[in-house]
Amino acid sequence: MKIKKLAIVLMLPILLTGCWDNVDLTEINIVTAMGIDKAEDGKVIVTVQVVEPAALQSTSSGQGGGGSTQPKPVFVESYKGETISDALISMKSIVDKRLFLSTIQVLILGERFCKDGINEALDFLHRDYQSEYLTDVLVAKDVTPEQILKIQSDMEAIPAMYIKGTIENTAIRAKVKRTMLINLFKDIKNKCRQVTIGQITKVNEKTVKTEGTAVFRDGKLVGWLDQYQTRGYLFATDKVKSTIVNIPVTNGKMSIEVLNSSGKLDVEFKNGEPAKLSIQVNLEGNIVEYIGKETLDSPGDIYKLEKILSQEVKKEIVMALNKAQKDYSSDIFGFGTVVHKYHPHYWEKVMDEWNDVFSKLPAEIKVDAKIRRAGLIKSPMMKDE
Amino acid sequence: MEKARISSLQLFLLITGFLFGSTLILNPATGAKNDGWLAILIGGAVGTLLLAAYASIALLNPSKTLVEILRDRFGKVIGNIIAILYIWYFIHLASLVFRNFGSFMLTTTYPKTPLEVIIAVFALVVMYAVNSGVEVVGRMSEILVPFVPVIAVIISLGILTVHDFTAFLPVLENGISPVIKASLNLLTFPFGETIVFLMIFPHLNKRENLKKVSTLSALSATGLFLFIFFRDITVLGSHLIYQATFVPHLTSVLIPGINLEPLFNVNLIIGGSIKVVICMYAAVNGLNQLIGANDYRKFTTAVATFCVVLSIWVYENIFEMFDWAENIWLYYSIPFQIVIPLMLLFLSLIKKGNPAHEKSIE
Repeated sequence: MKIKKLAIVLMLPILLTGCWDNVDLTEINIVTAMGIDKAEDGKVIVTVQVVEPAALQSTSSGQGGGGSTQPKPVFVESYKGETISDALISMKSIVDKRLFLSTIQVLILGERFCKDGINEALDFLHRDYQSEYLTDVLVAKDVTPEQILKIQSDMEAIPAMYIKGTIENTAIRAKVKRTMLINLFKDIKNKCRQVTIGQITKVNEKTVKTEGTAVFRDGKLVGWLDQYQTRGYLFATDKVKSTIVNIPVTNGKMSIEVLNSSGKLDVEFKNGEPAKLSIQVNLEGNIVEYIGKETLDSPGDIYKLEKILSQEVKKEIVMALNKAQKDYSSDIFGFGTVVHKYHPHYWEKVMDEWNDVFSKLPAEIKVDAKIRRAGLIKSPMMKDE
Repeated sequence: MEKARISSLQLFLLITGFLFGSTLILNPATGAKNDGWLAILIGGAVGTLLLAAYASIALLNPSKTLVEILRDRFGKVIGNIIAILYIWYFIHLASLVFRNFGSFMLTTTYPKTPLEVIIAVFALVVMYAVNSGVEVVGRMSEILVPFVPVIAVIISLGILTVHDFTAFLPVLENGISPVIKASLNLLTFPFGETIVFLMIFPHLNKRENLKKVSTLSALSATGLFLFIFFRDITVLGSHLIYQATFVPHLTSVLIPGINLEPLFNVNLIIGGSIKVVICMYAAVNGLNQLIGANDYRKFTTAVATFCVVLSIWVYENIFEMFDWAENIWLYYSIPFQIVIPLMLLFLSLIKKGNPAHEKSIE
């Protein structure tokens, strides 16, 4: 009995060892951003941006002091392989420690990679248990992902965090489509809605710009939307949280801050065939800036402004819709979802040619804008009066 | 038989915990894509009836376990043979749950840990619970099972930002047959598996509550399945649901800013362990009664070891596991879950209607 008890006591420490797969923080490379591009020979180039926690501490605490050569807080390495996982594993020939992928903040796709199609190519990210499904995805325009990841920002020690920050504030400007990995996976095999991903460009060695949207058709990059078309697209798909819309007024300009917006898509059917696309957007805003001479004091003035605001927003939506229908023939809005949900029999017939059907349909766009408040002053400052 | 007694609440929690079990990771209803909710409704309704039928069998044969009922109704020889098959079925079921659990852990959390280690450690706890007896298991369920719905609600609240509430449309896009198939699957896994509770029912302290408790637990499990299904489909959409290996896990990793994945694992461990404990308890008790030994605990270690080995040996890869759960389990289970129980019910009703037999009991 005593031996049995002793044996149990001796076995207890086994439980204290923790996880089998436990890896110390000092033995992993924390990847903050990943870039995927395709080389001319069809191979995949994977770029990783890895943080050096030790160096990060010294840059934040001892800035300017010492004068000795500061180690860089991140390093960027690329490797070419047959597949993403092959490149990542083979990269160990130039990187010393295990690459830890769960911390990826942004994923940047190269233009060539996107043009060849992302549907199948992203399988690894979907399958790997380490992937973080909430990673932000961007498409690099005119530059390679590697060049984007090599920037050194003054605003953040880690470039990936800086890039992530610029995407997150799309909530207040609505000029870039925010796509996370999970959104991508949801839409990749979905015939009802085509994939769109935010666009990133390089300004100089220190800054990048996230503005605009990359448009895909059947998983292949077909074109871009500029910032205003992007906003029209976001208005229509109910993704605008807040933004500034500039409207022309007599002898001046005015900026309206949109605080609330909701967009609704519908497809009207006649005799079992789709007859018309309809987009209904309701929004509310405040006047935040007015450079002009007219006085603002009666409700009538506001009604006039509301009308102009509606037209302005409508113009952006029309631009985006035209681009999607005429230039790219790609249902990025997701009208297909409506057809699929409410007219499943028709959808079954038209599923594979939906993008072409979509491109030929006329559209009715209604924007109902309300201006609620005007800030701390009513009319603009004027000298005489 | 063990003299242990469990309360109605404990039985309710045991059955619901058992039904949640591995259904939380491997939900057969996803086979029907958008119409999974229909499959859950149909499967749940029929499953509730099935559970009520099991309860009636137990009520018609008061304070007898499945093995004893089988012997009474089919005669000693045939009854014993069927009892052996049932014991095999319970052991097989336990090892399948072991394997589901191990596969899940390996895929999502511990890719480098050997499957054997995870399952063996799990089995140690299960053995301890089985040896402690049904009273302890009942009390354990009182503490643990309430966590399951609470965690499901917590995870759902975390993803409230997504609001495509019409994601389950269109209804019956691919016709009724996938729905029927999925609901049949759901009926045999998990509802029909509650046949093992015929080994537990005699322990209930208030026998008159039996029917109420079992139907109520089947209904509440159906409710939770529906809730989880609607949550998953609004968050993921039907395309991703069909593609994902472990659907609710995928939902739980989508919550921004916080990792609730461990909560989900907790959920699974609670459901899975209750399921294995019940199966193993039923198996060792059945074996004990079959042989006429005096203590079922003598068999626990042997049966548990066998289960662990079987669970590792039973599938070559994860696709076999899914294939088995979706396509084969149904036909393998029907005799155990529907045919024999219905015969038992029928025979019991006949015996009850025969006054000569009543007299012989008195």
